[in-house]
Amino acid sequence: MGAAAPAHDDRRGAIEEPDPLKETYLARFRCAPASCEKNMLGRFFRLSLILAISIAPPALLAQGRRGAPQGPPPSGRSGAPVDLTGYWVSLVTSDWQYRMVPPVKIAAGPRAPESIVGFSGIPMNPAGEKVAEAWDPAKDQAAGEQCKAYGAGNIMRIPERIHITWEDDETMKLETDAGMQIRYFEFKKPMRTGGDWQGVSRASWEAVPAAFGFLPTGSLKVVTTNFKAGYLNKNGVPYSANALVTELFDRADQPAIEVDHQEFPGAAYLVVTRTVVDPAYLLGPYLTAVQFQKEPDGSKWNPTPCSVR
Amino acid sequence: MKAKSVCVVTCVASTLVAGLALGQNFFGPQKGGSGIDISGDWFWSGEQDAAYMTAAGAVADYGSIPLNAAGRMYALSWDPARIEGRQQQCPGYGVPYVYYSPGNFRFWEERDPFTQRLIAIHMYFQTSEVHRTIWMDGRPHPPAYAPHTFAGFSTGKWDGSFLTITTDHLKRAWLRSNGSLYSDQATVIERLYRHGDELTAFTTTYDPLYLQEPYTKAMVLQHNTKDPDAWLYACEDSQEVVGRREDQVPNYLFGKNPFLHQFADANNVPLLGALGGAQTMHVEFQQTLKEPAASLEKQALAETVPPPGPEQASKAVDPDPHDGKVHVWHVQGSVYMLIGDGGNIAVQVGDQGALLVDAGAGRLSDQVVSEVSKLSAKPIQFILNTSVHADHTGGDAKLSAAGEDPSLAGSFFAAQSPIAATGMFTDPNHHATLLAQNNVQVRMYDEKLPLTMIPSDTYLEGRRRKFHNDELVEMFYVPHASTDGDSIVQFRKSDVIATGDVFDTTRYPFIDVKNGGTIQGEIDALDFILDKTGYRHDEDGGTMIIPGHGRVSDEWDVGEYRDMLAIIRDRVEAMKSKGATLAQVKAAKLTYDYDPRYGAIAGPWTTDMFVEAVYNTLSLPKAKK
Repeated sequence: MGAAAPAHDDRRGAIEEPDPLKETYLARFRCAPASCEKNMLGRFFRLSLILAISIAPPALLAQGRRGAPQGPPPSGRSGAPVDLTGYWVSLVTSDWQYRMVPPVKIAAGPRAPESIVGFSGIPMNPAGEKVAEAWDPAKDQAAGEQCKAYGAGNIMRIPERIHITWEDDETMKLETDAGMQIRYFEFKKPMRTGGDWQGVSRASWEAVPAAFGFLPTGSLKVVTTNFKAGYLNKNGVPYSANALVTELFDRADQPAIEVDHQEFPGAAYLVVTRTVVDPAYLLGPYLTAVQFQKEPDGSKWNPTPCSVR
Repeated sequence: MKAKSVCVVTCVASTLVAGLALGQNFFGPQKGGSGIDISGDWFWSGEQDAAYMTAAGAVADYGSIPLNAAGRMYALSWDPARIEGRQQQCPGYGVPYVYYSPGNFRFWEERDPFTQRLIAIHMYFQTSEVHRTIWMDGRPHPPAYAPHTFAGFSTGKWDGSFLTITTDHLKRAWLRSNGSLYSDQATVIERLYRHGDELTAFTTTYDPLYLQEPYTKAMVLQHNTKDPDAWLYACEDSQEVVGRREDQVPNYLFGKNPFLHQFADANNVPLLGALGGAQTMHVEFQQTLKEPAASLEKQALAETVPPPGPEQASKAVDPDPHDGKVHVWHVQGSVYMLIGDGGNIAVQVGDQGALLVDAGAGRLSDQVVSEVSKLSAKPIQFILNTSVHADHTGGDAKLSAAGEDPSLAGSFFAAQSPIAATGMFTDPNHHATLLAQNNVQVRMYDEKLPLTMIPSDTYLEGRRRKFHNDELVEMFYVPHASTDGDSIVQFRKSDVIATGDVFDTTRYPFIDVKNGGTIQGEIDALDFILDKTGYRHDEDGGTMIIPGHGRVSDEWDVGEYRDMLAIIRDRVEAMKSKGATLAQVKAAKLTYDYDPRYGAIAGPWTTDMFVEAVYNTLSLPKAKK
């Protein structure tokens, strides 16, 4: 073998023995030895990048499912990961005495912040307590404000039946028989302006960050603002018109189950987790969750007007 | 080298991107899919149902709980002072109400170190230091004769992004700790939905014994981003009321709860609503509440006593599979339980011959011998009979014939006087030795049973003890319990007690009056057992109990059984002391709240027979402590 070419690796500062394989490889590219390595690197990089970009569709980098075909994003209805439509009835097993039983006026006077009598654990601040203590159902009745407890801040906690449908592809409609209220959950920019008991509700299908995109969770997220001030309990616990109500709707499908040789039929449930933030009357976020059970039809639908008690 | 490294990295990255585009996520998910991680520290927000933190609740505050009549009677007879009892001071918490216990929660994953597959999700709850394991690896639930715990046995699966958990093998525990219960036969389905820093727990409790309908509940937990540095909950029991007998269990007689109206009146809640029931959780109940107050009160008062109607039989699952097979369960230490041939059989194994407690009914003795031979390299050496009952002694002859007792043959005493020393022992070279309290032998002779099945080694009172298979084995006489010849057997090192018919998880105790059984003797025997037990943690585990029939149990289960008998005894005594006849006592349905769990309307031991035994043996003097 003849004398080896000097090495170009300055880090080592030593003469590198010629690599016959390398020589052969470089020869295949037919480039001048001095610039071959640099070119090879560049070619590798370019080839790889072209390969990746040509295969990865643009939708990979957008919100929603991986690998979704290009085109307009799905509508609220077509993009629904779960079906929430139908008739549902409350199962009142939380805060039972505050929701099921005609309300009791909260006695005025000092009380420990953690006192729950009449408050059901609602984290009221002093301003809220003052309003609650002044509750006068006759006054509300006279003023035509019987629906104060049926507003967006509390409507889902009223013992009731609800009926969920699609008003259009971007608007889900929720009606209640108790209080005969209607809520619209809008997936695009809201058309409604609020200022009523139910306000403006912005809806989305919840998705959480995941590797290289977002993962739909199957929950409906509804954020509601722009409503009239109302009650968090029928006994006058207030929320202001500036409150923020965030709700998450989850469906649970329970198949039939046998326990101790007794067969229990399957059932579908709707769980609504609600957070109310209202610095005017609350010390902090107020978290609750309620559940509904699906009914086969609307045969038990029973519209009744709002009631102060 | 640098160029090569850059090339490799670029190629790998490109391949990954391309792969992702084609729907292949090299970072997961693994086989079976997975959902949103719920790991971390959590706490109950406590704003909803705030009054029920620790599940509390006032007396007669059961609104929205779908209790059936038996559940309501159980709750109304519950006296809060009952928690002064030793076994009631440190019980664990079960689902669902553990979610609204005060304190901090921590959830974490357990993964296979090699495959990283999810094996289990663990939950730790500060209150009562409850540790739950939710198995995510598809394993089956244990058989019905396996022990129960407060946390139960849980398996989980992902439903989309959310977690569904199925739990059974629970202990009797509270829906609210005011007497409103779910039984040890309940199954709970939970669904956990994580939304950022909020975790919604939606639970459904199924209990055919005490609930009219499934009981659903939704609770919200909040994420704790900072370690709260508070994780413990020390609880130890003690004698809280000096001078009180262990079997003095505070309770209210049916229709005599002195606090019946207290919650309802203080909160302006109609009593009918406060007493719970399925109707109280349905929206139509609002219409019911508009009825006249007098009508509501009348309906409510009718619910405070057992309703008319036929007797109830137990709805509990019989832990015995009744499949013609003998099943084996390792209890702990050197002790196993065999179930399937009538009464349960305890088997202790080691370097010496196997020691059995009881012999079963004798229908499947061949299988029993076979199973014992799998557990022990040595033949059966001793069989200890806990009573004279046929479902515990029926296998004596066959099992004894399959064994041998090498401690007798060729011994000094045998050489001195073979007849006197060993004549009563049936051919010890070729038979295991049968032991029992002397009354068992006497009664079996009276029944003219074959000699081969009659215990030849007996004791009269106190205890009989052996050091066998590396532990102390003691046989204690508990007089006039199920019979006048009952023994319980304690394995000290294994920390296991075999109780015979003194304790039975399938029915009311068989108080065999004809053979000397009494209700007070039965209660005293259970107290005797409880004096020898300890729990590992908050009334879970520790000393394990093999009942005469039913599942492997522990101190909590025996304490519950003892409390039940004390309460029923008190009810019968209250009526009898006022001159009530047996017929009147039976008509009063004094076992109504326990019948769904232990009642029987047919078969060899019915509720009627039990009540009769209680009534007839109440006049006997109580055994002195």
